[in-house]
Amino acid sequence: MGQYLPIFALLVLASLFAAVSFAASRLLNPPHPTPAKTVPYECGIIDAKEPPERFPVKFFLVAMIFIVFDIEIIFLYPFAVVYRSLGLFGLVALAIFAALVFESFVYLISNGALDWGPAKHLRRRSPMVDSLRTADTTVKRVGTDGREAAA
Amino acid sequence: MTPLVDPLLSGPIGLQEILVVVFKVVVAFAFLMVAVMFMVWFERKLIGDMQNRIGPNRAGPWGILQTLADGVKLFFKEDLLPDNADRFVFKLAPYLALIPAFLIFTVVPVGGNYSTGDGTVSLFGEETLLQVADPPVGVLFVLAMSSVAVYGVMLAGWSSGSKYPLLGSVRATAQMISYEAALSLSVLSVILLSGTLSTSGIVAEQSQWNWNLWLTGFIPFAIFLISGTAELNRPPFDLVEAEQELVGGFHTEYSAVRFALFFLAEFMNTVTMSAIIVTLFLGGPNGPMFGPEWLQSWVLPSLWFFLKLFVFLFVFVWFRATLPRFRYDQLMDMGWKLLIPAALGWFLILAGIQVASDNDDINLALVVIVGVAIFFAGMGLLMLAMRSSRRQRQLSGVTD
Amino acid sequence: METTFDLPANIAFGVIAVAIIVAAIRVVTTRNIVHAALWLVVVLGGVGAIYILLQAEFVAVVQYLVYIGAIVVLFLFGIMLTRAPLGEMLDLTNRTMRVGAIITAVILVTIMVFSVVDSFRDEEVDFIAYSGDVAAAQTFADLSAEEQETVLDEVAAIGAEGTDLGPVGRTETVSDSIFRDYLIPFEVISALLLAALIGAIVIARRD
Repeated sequence: MGQYLPIFALLVLASLFAAVSFAASRLLNPPHPTPAKTVPYECGIIDAKEPPERFPVKFFLVAMIFIVFDIEIIFLYPFAVVYRSLGLFGLVALAIFAALVFESFVYLISNGALDWGPAKHLRRRSPMVDSLRTADTTVKRVGTDGREAAA
Repeated sequence: MTPLVDPLLSGPIGLQEILVVVFKVVVAFAFLMVAVMFMVWFERKLIGDMQNRIGPNRAGPWGILQTLADGVKLFFKEDLLPDNADRFVFKLAPYLALIPAFLIFTVVPVGGNYSTGDGTVSLFGEETLLQVADPPVGVLFVLAMSSVAVYGVMLAGWSSGSKYPLLGSVRATAQMISYEAALSLSVLSVILLSGTLSTSGIVAEQSQWNWNLWLTGFIPFAIFLISGTAELNRPPFDLVEAEQELVGGFHTEYSAVRFALFFLAEFMNTVTMSAIIVTLFLGGPNGPMFGPEWLQSWVLPSLWFFLKLFVFLFVFVWFRATLPRFRYDQLMDMGWKLLIPAALGWFLILAGIQVASDNDDINLALVVIVGVAIFFAGMGLLMLAMRSSRRQRQLSGVTD
Repeated sequence: METTFDLPANIAFGVIAVAIIVAAIRVVTTRNIVHAALWLVVVLGGVGAIYILLQAEFVAVVQYLVYIGAIVVLFLFGIMLTRAPLGEMLDLTNRTMRVGAIITAVILVTIMVFSVVDSFRDEEVDFIAYSGDVAAAQTFADLSAEEQETVLDEVAAIGAEGTDLGPVGRTETVSDSIFRDYLIPFEVISALLLAALIGAIVIARRD
C-alpha cells in the first residue's frame, strides 16, 4: 500500500491549493453581498418561476440500469485478468452471465425504458388544418364571370 | 522484464523515498497547472484559426499568457454566494470536481524506457518509474476517480438553487454515468490483452509497436475516444452547459475562484483523458529508440508521450470546432443502444479469440464464426427491441 | 524484504475509523437529506480506505466504483428528482424513530462484534507493504504462462483448503476465487441483476 502514498500526497497538495486560492480571493476581494448580487443569476433577468420540483423518472431509471451494468463490469474485470488460466470453461461461464444480463437489457429497451425521443403528440386531425384546404379551395373568388375561359 | 510495481515504494520507506515522492508530486502538480494553461490558450487559438479569427494575441508572445491573465483576474473578482444556495454543498462542489482531476493523472506513466529497458529511471539515486504512483489496480483507480468526479457536477447544480444549473447537472449526471459504462467496457479489451490492471504493466506490454490500438482492433479505441469526450462533457457532448438553453449549465451561479476551479478541473480532465488514451491504446512512452543511454531513458520516451498527448489535445479541439451538438435523445441512444452493446460484444469476441488461440484443441476459425454469429444475433435482438419500443410509442400517440 | 507498516498503518486506521464513526453519526442526525447522503459517501469512502490498508485493493476500488460511483449517485438522483428542498427538513426524524434507531444499533453492534470475534479469535492483521515481496513477484512474472498457471492452480488449491494466502485482496486472488470456488453464486448474481432490471421495467412501463 506504499503505492498509495503519492496519491495521498497529491490529494493533500490539491486540497491545499484549493484552500489557498479561496483564502487569496477572500483577501484580494472580500465579498460585499447586496440583495441584487445574491439573487440567483440564472440568465440575468429576475426569474418568474421556481426551480422545478420534479423530474422525469427516466433519469432515475438511467441511474438504476447503470448500477446493474456497473456490477456486471466489475465482474468482467477479474475475468479479463485471469482468463488465461480459466480457459474455455471460464469463457462459457462468463458468456452465460453476460447473456442473462443482456437479455433483460433487451427486454428493458423493448419496453421503452431508454427512449428519450421528442415526445410530440400527434395532432388531432382537425378539418381546419386539412391538407386539402389551400388557397384554391378556401378563398371564394368573385367577379370572375366571363374571364374563366380566357385565363 | 518490467517490475510489477514501482520499485521506489516497494521496499522500506525512508527519508530518501519520501523526498522523491514529494519531488514527483510537486512536479506533477506544476505540470498539470502549466498543461491547463497551455491547453486553454491552445484551444482558443486553434478555434480562432479554424474560424478565421485571430484568437488571443495580447498577453505575452502569441497571447500565450492569456490564461494566466484570466486566472489572475478571477482572483480579484467577488465571490458570490446566491441566496437560495445550500451553502455547505455549494462550497464543497468545486473541491469535489478539482481533486479527482488531479488524482487521475497520478497513474499515467509519462516517460521511462519500456522498449529496451524496464521503464525505470534513476532519480536521486533511487530506481523508480516516471509516474507519480503505480497502484496494481491503476486502471480501475482511473475509473473510480472519474465516477467520483460526477459528484462535483451533480452537487454544484443542485446546490445553486436555480433552475438552469439544476437542469444542467441532472443532464450531466445521467450522461456521465451512461458513458462511464461504455468507457469501462472498452477498457476491458485492453485489460484482456495486457493481463494486468496496472498502467505501467499495460505500457510495458505495448513495447515494440504492440500497441493496443491495433491489437484490440480499433473498435475499443473508437468507443473509448467517443465516450471519453462525453465523459469530459466536451463538444459535441456539451449538453451539460449548452449555452443556448442553459446559460452556463451547472456552474451558472459560480463566480470568481470557485468558477476558476471548475474551469481548471474541466481542462485538467481533458489533458488527463488524452494521457489515459495514450497510455491505454498508443503505448504511452513507447516509440523508436536510438542514441546514447541518457537519450533513451529520459528524453525520447517522454518526447513520444507528449507528442501523442498533443495529438489528442488537438483532436479534442478539432471535435469542438467541427461537430454540432448532439440532441439529448441521440446522446442517450448512442451511449446505451450502440456503444455499450458494441463494447460488450467486442470484448466477448476478443476473449473467445484469445482463449482459442491459447488452446490447441479449439478451432480458432470456429470460435470466430460462432462469436460473430452470436454478436449479430445479439444485435438483431436489440434491433427488434428498438423496433417494438418504437411501435409502442406510435400506438400510444407519441411519435418521432 | 518484508516491510511492516504497523505503526503508520495503525495511526491511519485510527484516523479513518474516527472519521467513519463521526460521519456515520452525522448521517442519521443531520436534518438535510442531501447532507446525509454526502456523509454516507464519507462513510463508504472511509471503508474503502480501510480496504486499502488491508491490501484488499480490488475490493477497495469496487467499493468506490459501485457504492460511491453508482449507488449513492442513485440515492442523490432519487432525492433530486422527487423532492429536494434546499435546507432542513424538520419531519425527517422524531422521537419514536430515535428509540427504534437505538434498539437497531444495539442489535447490529451485538451481531457484528459476535461475528468478528467468532471468526478471527486472536488472529492479527499484518500490515505488510504490498508486494513487500518484490522478488517473489518478479520470479512469478518471469515464469512462462504454463508455469504461472500451475502456480495459480496451486495457490487456488491451497485457498480451497482455507490456508492463509497473504494478501487476499489482490485482483488475481479475487478473480480466481470468483471463477473457481464461487462460480455458482457468481451466476446467481446475474439472476439478482435480472430482478433489479425487472424493477426498472416496472418503473418504465407506461401503464
